[in-house]
Amino acid sequence: MSQLLDRLNFLQPRRMETYADGLGEVTREPRDWEETYRNRWRHDKIVRSTHGVNCTGSCSWKIYVKSGIVTWETQYTDYPRTRPGLPNHEPRGCARGASYSWYLYSANRVKTPLVRGRLMRLWRRMRETRQPVEAWEAIQRDPILRAEYVKARGKGGFVRASWDEATEMIAAANAWTIRTYGPDRIFGFSPIPAMSMVSYAAGSRYLSLLGGVCMSFYDWYCDLPPSSPMTWGEQTDVPESADWYNAGYLLLWGSNVPQTRTPDAHFYTEARYRGAKSAVICPDYSEAAKFGDVWLNVKQGTDAALAIAFGHVILREFHLDRQVEYFEDYCRRYSDFPMLVKLEERDGRLVPGRFLRAAEIEGALGETNNPEWKTVAIDENSGELVAPNGTIGHRWGEKGRWNLEEKAGGRDVRLKLTLILDEDHDDIAGVDFPYFGADATAAFDSGDRRPNVLTRNVPVRRVKTTEGEVAVATVFDLLCANYGLDRGLGGDWVARDYAEDIPGTPAWAEKITGVSRDKIIHVAREFARNAEKTQGKSMVIIGAAMNHWYHMDMNYRGVINMLIMCGCVGQSGGGWAHYVGQEKLRPQTGWAPIAFALDWGRPPRQMNSTSAWYAHTGQWRYETVTAGEILSPTAPEGDWEELSLIDYNIRAERMGWLPSAPQLRTNPLEVAKAAKAAGKEVAAYVAEKLKSGELEMSCEDPDAPENWPRNLFVWRSNLLGSSGKGHEYFLRHLLGTDNGVLGEETGRRPREARWHDEAPRGKLDLLVCIDFRMSTTAVYADVVLPTASWYEKNDLNTSDMHPFIHPLQAAVDPAYESRSDWGIFKSIAVQFQKVAPEVLGRETDVVAVPILHDTPGEIAQTEVRDWKRGECDLIPGRTAPNFVAVERDYTAIADRFMALGPLMEKLGNGGKGIAWNTGHEVEALRALNGAHADGAARGAARIVTDIDACEAIMMLAPETNGEVAVKAWAALSEVTGRDHTHLARPKEDEKIRFADIAAQPRKIITSPTWSGIESEKVCYNAGWTNVHELIPWRTLTGRQQTYQDHLWMRAFGEGFVTWRPPVDLKTVTGKLIEQGDGLVLNFITPHQKWGIHSTYTDNLLMLTLNRGGPVIWISENDAKKAGIRDNDWVELFNANGALTARAVVSQRIKDGTTFMYHAQEKIVNTPGSEITGRRGGIHNSVTRTVPKPTHMIGGYAQQSWGFNYYGTVGANRDEFVIVRRMRKVDWLDRPATTKEAAQ
Amino acid sequence: MNAPTLQDRTLKAFSVLLGYPTAELQAAMPEIGGVLAAEPRLTAAQRRALRALTDRLAGADLYALQEEYVALFDRSRSLSLNLFEHVHGESRDRGGAMVDLLETYRAGGFEPVTTELPDHLPVLLEFLATQPAATAREILADAAHILQALAERLARRESPYAAVFAALVRLAGATPDAAALADLLAEPETDPDDLAALDAAWQESEVRFGPDPNAGCPVTRELLARIDPPAPPSAQ
Repeated sequence: MSQLLDRLNFLQPRRMETYADGLGEVTREPRDWEETYRNRWRHDKIVRSTHGVNCTGSCSWKIYVKSGIVTWETQYTDYPRTRPGLPNHEPRGCARGASYSWYLYSANRVKTPLVRGRLMRLWRRMRETRQPVEAWEAIQRDPILRAEYVKARGKGGFVRASWDEATEMIAAANAWTIRTYGPDRIFGFSPIPAMSMVSYAAGSRYLSLLGGVCMSFYDWYCDLPPSSPMTWGEQTDVPESADWYNAGYLLLWGSNVPQTRTPDAHFYTEARYRGAKSAVICPDYSEAAKFGDVWLNVKQGTDAALAIAFGHVILREFHLDRQVEYFEDYCRRYSDFPMLVKLEERDGRLVPGRFLRAAEIEGALGETNNPEWKTVAIDENSGELVAPNGTIGHRWGEKGRWNLEEKAGGRDVRLKLTLILDEDHDDIAGVDFPYFGADATAAFDSGDRRPNVLTRNVPVRRVKTTEGEVAVATVFDLLCANYGLDRGLGGDWVARDYAEDIPGTPAWAEKITGVSRDKIIHVAREFARNAEKTQGKSMVIIGAAMNHWYHMDMNYRGVINMLIMCGCVGQSGGGWAHYVGQEKLRPQTGWAPIAFALDWGRPPRQMNSTSAWYAHTGQWRYETVTAGEILSPTAPEGDWEELSLIDYNIRAERMGWLPSAPQLRTNPLEVAKAAKAAGKEVAAYVAEKLKSGELEMSCEDPDAPENWPRNLFVWRSNLLGSSGKGHEYFLRHLLGTDNGVLGEETGRRPREARWHDEAPRGKLDLLVCIDFRMSTTAVYADVVLPTASWYEKNDLNTSDMHPFIHPLQAAVDPAYESRSDWGIFKSIAVQFQKVAPEVLGRETDVVAVPILHDTPGEIAQTEVRDWKRGECDLIPGRTAPNFVAVERDYTAIADRFMALGPLMEKLGNGGKGIAWNTGHEVEALRALNGAHADGAARGAARIVTDIDACEAIMMLAPETNGEVAVKAWAALSEVTGRDHTHLARPKEDEKIRFADIAAQPRKIITSPTWSGIESEKVCYNAGWTNVHELIPWRTLTGRQQTYQDHLWMRAFGEGFVTWRPPVDLKTVTGKLIEQGDGLVLNFITPHQKWGIHSTYTDNLLMLTLNRGGPVIWISENDAKKAGIRDNDWVELFNANGALTARAVVSQRIKDGTTFMYHAQEKIVNTPGSEITGRRGGIHNSVTRTVPKPTHMIGGYAQQSWGFNYYGTVGANRDEFVIVRRMRKVDWLDRPATTKEAAQ
Repeated sequence: MNAPTLQDRTLKAFSVLLGYPTAELQAAMPEIGGVLAAEPRLTAAQRRALRALTDRLAGADLYALQEEYVALFDRSRSLSLNLFEHVHGESRDRGGAMVDLLETYRAGGFEPVTTELPDHLPVLLEFLATQPAATAREILADAAHILQALAERLARRESPYAAVFAALVRLAGATPDAAALADLLAEPETDPDDLAALDAAWQESEVRFGPDPNAGCPVTRELLARIDPPAPPSAQ
């Protein structure tokens, strides 16, 4: 049996096994290589954190740490689950975020405190013989010494400083400034608290304790859509990204979700799998365009025309020819459509005027409380005029009727939407609407030569008022006329057929936008039909691209109107999804007391940045836009055209509409002393002296040295590099260093602002930049302090994209000598407390407060009256800012910084118009954090560490403390007369602590601060509680308000939405054009792929993936015109300045535009400009901010100021530039100029 | 375990020389200059070059020296004194490499007590100054190509600090790996004062399809090569 011998029984030959059909082979090589991976995965601990230093995404990361060094990171996948049928959130965390993680150890980091050598030398010399404040004074009082370092800004020459030395100098500067000019000369700028709220609060708490000024960011970034406060009385509230999945129709409008919302984009993809349809509207073939079922490549800046045409189709087919019951019912209850507008007669013609108010009717419709703030409609049941529940007049001064129940004066009512039926109107009247279509500049000219007033017929009713008979019409009827819809009433400028070229029709919009009428009709129908079938599940995801235009409100209001017409707002899967800035600071009312030191003194000083920078960087001196150019032909009587834009701002400040910083020419500490000496109460004293002219508001003379901002802190921000519209003006006037401004000052002299022939250069005494890298701002700063980055600090992070609260945790100590922002400001506070007694003690400060939204004062001014022009008396808080005395103890700033002050127990807490007692939480915080045993804050709860601060925020906020949530809902229930506490009761015992969120991100608790709810049944969606809990919107009418009746809104032609072409900024002028090659393009700055958010692009991986430096994108046709080839160096310039970049020539760009992605830095790879002879600028070198008077409105319900809520915004997309191929690339790297490298 | 003692005063001198200039450092220049002048392992030319540096450090205005130091070593990535910046940059290998180095210090009986990272050259030099000559030489030799690259970059800027790096290469007793050195010198200079070099280094190469369409995308290849440069043995 040879087989037995031949066969092996116990062994098998050393033959390799194969698999995969012989394609793969098992080998027996040594496995040492696995060590590499084992080493890579070594760790002592895993810490949860996020990239909240420069990203708002709030993605959860596992950080692996070995021996105090970060060795690895991976995405966490343990987000709380959603619910059956809805995809989960994970994975979140994008490749871009991961690529920045190793920045932690980058050589780009700032390692130690840095001070410009020239300043350091001066300081040390002075300090040898002088006390700190005295030393600072010695430098400031000597113009030659001061100029020595001021003029060196941006030119290198830094030396290291110790923390003690750097913070002592800063503290001395602050103290001297307070003593000499006043605390309101100390400014601080930091954006987007939501991404690291304790880091934000560190600086704002220090500033607020001093009485310094916290600068707004959301409006300045132009991410704030003023249309949101106008329509909803809400800054911005949007659905979480998971709610995209519930939509049936997704309209992406100027938003590039796959590129800029990477961790959330999966919901968009998943919605498509579920069967949602998507249309994408953007001028370029963007990443999002590729996702769309249909792409509408609208001409940039013409979106409002497109939105109006959509609205035209929706009104025609879903409201007029056929009435969709759901839409009608929704609009009747939740919009201002049924409200009556008075038609004002002028020169025999009718123009839409103010909302009719109860006070104007004999007997005030039985209303005794605020009848002048209660709007009026017609009740279908009785046919009578009624003042329906829920208006702003019901909100203040009474309880129980501020709700959206269909009631008026206790009776059930059903409001009438239209007076179209013969029996409902007394007359058909021609009403004038302004039309701006013919004002377009050459680049937007569609050949439109229509008149600038279009008269359209509207059904009106005659109503007897206390001032005689007036014609009134419903908002809905006026809106239909405004949209150019023929309703069989005869007259001109209305269309029955979409093909007619009448303003409002798809044919008209086609000419302006370049989008074919078929596509417009198609998308409008699908959008509305879906909303009809799903009861509002049509959603618009909208981006900055739409909001950065001067007339952004027209774009946005056009879109919002579509959503209201289709009943989408407040419905899950529908509504308005504006994701710009992502500033949803969920535990806001817990955070605000810590951030603005409301526990020690109220009110804080807050300023709208756009107006402040416009004034203090001298940009107003170069203004090219006149009020006359943007005024409505239907404007009421007034001196409108005689005013410059800064004059409007000054009047707004004077009337208490906008805040001021600095506030008065005189130091507020001196004002308080003088008031005391005169034995007068502060507000009365200031009013008297303002009237007599002995006191003067700073805004009237921004160039006087007494009115300059003196110290500026910039932290968590690259103010000069990424958000500084008018960058070169910042350099010239605020900083006083070399700059590239090419244009000249305007020849037009303002009426209200004092003109100095010689503009100041170098207003700031001290610029402190707190950053972890040498940003463009740091390069220009006098002092740079190194701060902690991603995994080096404890903090909180929330986003509007998901409903969780997430921690940042210090996985490792801050690298080099850096400290957390909390630690840094604590150090400064400690130094301040040491040096201040040299010149300061316990002082009384006088804080000017504008009329604030969500306070009883917001119904201050039914009419526009300027006390200075004798139109009314100066009544603080009513016709002017209020002036409030605030006690400060400058000898206890650090003690107060680190303790929760007594006012929380004394005055309570609250937000958005409601207040609650918070004594129990303060007590609980004392137990949790411990109390101070001694010092100025003896017995107060400790907030010494950053974790203490996190705990304080979460303890006080309804979103993280169920007990507070119930209290807050109870407080709101009192006002509305409806019980809302059921929304929070199930979570009453839940308290989220820092350790909880370290274990897992936690879903927040439903609170009245926000208009959506956290529930097992629906996703978070804005407006949900308005629609389902009948809580009014915080507007004049209490409804979603499509008509804006303020005098200034009407004067500037924006009572209703209308198409307004981009404005002419006149920055491409004759002399400059000659230096170009004939190519002039519209300059657009979208968010990019090769950087995170708007922070920076100096990471090697990102630079390598792109072109290694600044680039602009242009179309092939435009490139050919100017002889530009791909990758050529080009120069872009206009009157504002110049920048250099490489050209990316691409078919995806629309002719006539150039893209420069936001926030590319001039510290990286930027050659000199041939035009300015200096290092090429950044994207903001060719921009200048131009404020809009309608954004200055105040004291008028929802159009009242609030920090980051309303105010002027930094629009920048109307800008044009000359694009020219560079002849010779000069890197300016000659030895003589090495110090000017970053200039 | 007995605390290891200082064995190589020259390496220690270099550690000090590469520190931030202070009045104390200026005052110590005669002593440091003396140590270096007497160092037989260096050539006469190298000693002269070092003399130029110590003289400058001793005599120049302190603020000028500090501004220069910050501009060179704090602000210029291509001159970073953190060695792994030149090996790993912002790659994920950097954390692991630093842990290894930290463990090397610990194995040598030391615990770093500085805010600097373990790969900071003065930290490493101080450590090597305590180690047996052979060990020190071996570790220095591993980094020779980085030291040589820094020497050349500083020489290009006419900085007297170049002398320290030239001397360190000499002490390492190794010829820097030519290929690794060439790679380093070909790498971009992120320093804001030398943008032309930076630009040249980062320029994308043209994508060509053919004659061999299967050769892959050159851009990707180059990119990958840059992201993952061969790690020297010390980092393994």
